[in-house]
Amino acid sequence: MKRLLLALFALAIAVPAQAQDKLVISIWGGSWRDLVAETAARKFTAETGVAVEFVTGGTIDRLNKEKLAKGSPESDITFTTSHVGWLYANDGLFEQLDVSKIPNAKNLADEARISPFHLGAWAYVYTIGYRADLMGGMKFESWSDLWKPELKGKLAAPDFDPSHVIAVAALLSGSDAARWEKGQDKLKALKPNFKAFFTNDANSQQLLASGETPVQIVLSMNAYYMIGQGVPITLAIPKEGAVLGIDTVAIMKGSKKAELAYKFINALYDPEIQAQIAKLKKGSPAVLNAKLDPEIAKLPGVFSTAAQWKQQINIDAKLRAEKTAEWRKWFAENIMN
Amino acid sequence: MAKVVCRKHHELIQHSAPVQPMNSQPFLRTFTAPAVLCAFGFLAAMAAVLQFSFRAYIPGSLDPGGFTLANFADLLKPLYARVFFDTVWICFLTAVSTLIVGYPLAYALVRMQNAVARSILLVIVVTPLFLGEVVRTYSWIIVLGNNGFINSVLRDLGIIQQPIQFMFTTFGVVVALVHVTMPVMVIMLAAGLSHIDRDYEKAAESLGAGPIRTFLTVTLPLSMPGVVAGVTTAFAWTFSAFATPQLIGGGQVNMISNLVYQLGFASFNFPFAASLCVAGLALTIVVLSALRLAARPLENIRPH
Repeated sequence: MKRLLLALFALAIAVPAQAQDKLVISIWGGSWRDLVAETAARKFTAETGVAVEFVTGGTIDRLNKEKLAKGSPESDITFTTSHVGWLYANDGLFEQLDVSKIPNAKNLADEARISPFHLGAWAYVYTIGYRADLMGGMKFESWSDLWKPELKGKLAAPDFDPSHVIAVAALLSGSDAARWEKGQDKLKALKPNFKAFFTNDANSQQLLASGETPVQIVLSMNAYYMIGQGVPITLAIPKEGAVLGIDTVAIMKGSKKAELAYKFINALYDPEIQAQIAKLKKGSPAVLNAKLDPEIAKLPGVFSTAAQWKQQINIDAKLRAEKTAEWRKWFAENIMN
Repeated sequence: MAKVVCRKHHELIQHSAPVQPMNSQPFLRTFTAPAVLCAFGFLAAMAAVLQFSFRAYIPGSLDPGGFTLANFADLLKPLYARVFFDTVWICFLTAVSTLIVGYPLAYALVRMQNAVARSILLVIVVTPLFLGEVVRTYSWIIVLGNNGFINSVLRDLGIIQQPIQFMFTTFGVVVALVHVTMPVMVIMLAAGLSHIDRDYEKAAESLGAGPIRTFLTVTLPLSMPGVVAGVTTAFAWTFSAFATPQLIGGGQVNMISNLVYQLGFASFNFPFAASLCVAGLALTIVVLSALRLAARPLENIRPH
């Protein structure tokens, strides 16, 4: 009996010791997790023999958890959106990156170099997505088309983040996101066209698929996913450019596996891996040397040259981190209610 | 070892029993300890929310700044008053509609003779509780949408040309909330109804009252305690609704919890979200107290 207990005890010690040999990655669930698992994580494990474990959750849940675990992080690597990354960075949760340990990072687009703490992993755009079959031949060539009276009660936008439409309204009013107040009247004029605001990707899909809101300000990668599911969505790229979005990667401060984490990020920036990401989720590579399938490269929201990156409306991530609350509150008080 | 503990307890009881009547229930403290512990955790969380609501929001940071009353001053804007009013109104509509739909069900549940039919009814009534709010709400989206069940049927029958707008309206939200609230209401009403002594009804009938008169003058008044409990619970239950107004309201019909989510969690303004929570809690307490006060005469109805 004693011997059996001893064996169990030894096993109990041995298992965690073995389990420690892994890299923990914090990311949103679902297809985002799968995307990283099938691309960079697979390559990383093949190269180092170290397994990757994912912890998943919503943007804010993960941020709060890491904030509570400050100093002894629950994960080694975090994927999050560029402006949310600034909240981590401002709170001292991210390690300052030593770019010399990520040789592949030299190919990153300028826009993907967000901060000394976090770098773009892939990109996408928020743009106008619409059901051409329900819109009677209507075309969207400019963001200003959204203001057309024919669109009354047909438009939906994300309810969690109005930054895109705020930046657009500012731009159309001859200003920019930093001086967004100039676009306030323009935004108020859009109010009659909004029919609903969606809470999450699934909600957005349901609204477009059912035709409830035939026009949406939509995330390009989600639109491609819906198209793949058989929803006939057309993505327009307005002449002013679409609103650039970047998901980023960072190493958690206090991670005991920083060296492995650098190796992982380098694998993520491998041109092949970046091309796979573009192929799987139709997002844009963050590097400029990915060899893209021409069919993928021509899609709206996929960039293969530095010039294409520059054509998009790029809201500074730090500004966005600071302004989101103010924008969201103004939007709730003046547009949504 | 066990012996010693027992003796100790025994001694304690013997010694202090005359002084402290509480020790006449020796296990009370032991058994309530987990609940007390939970209550402390709950209070701590509430205290954290309260202190957040009095602190300044710093853009770009998760940590709140110093003491401020600005969050509460902001709540005075007309938008928030309207959402607070809408919340109470939606709760009221839901509670009343649930009562009207739930009463006959509860009545049938208590009075039906056939045990099998009664079990089936009970299962139907209670099943929604097991589905979870999100699943139930999504099913309502399928039913209420422009191309949903109701609109397709009406269109195929040629009754309507254009779909009727159910989604993103107060009506749609209330319909889904009634479904969510129904099991609680029916169970509370059934409990109230089952306590009624059938002899009173028989007495009324023997004195010549018809079934409708018996119901209105005897059964209904006697079931009032159940009705009050059901309505109060439904009201409080709906007050905290989140997923249903979020998904069916689509940002056009907002309740307090939706505002908390939109302003606090989606945009990291925790202090303002905390002040909304505090104000919402205060409103709940005020409304429920008012409801209790108004219902007091009804609750005291007792058979004499």
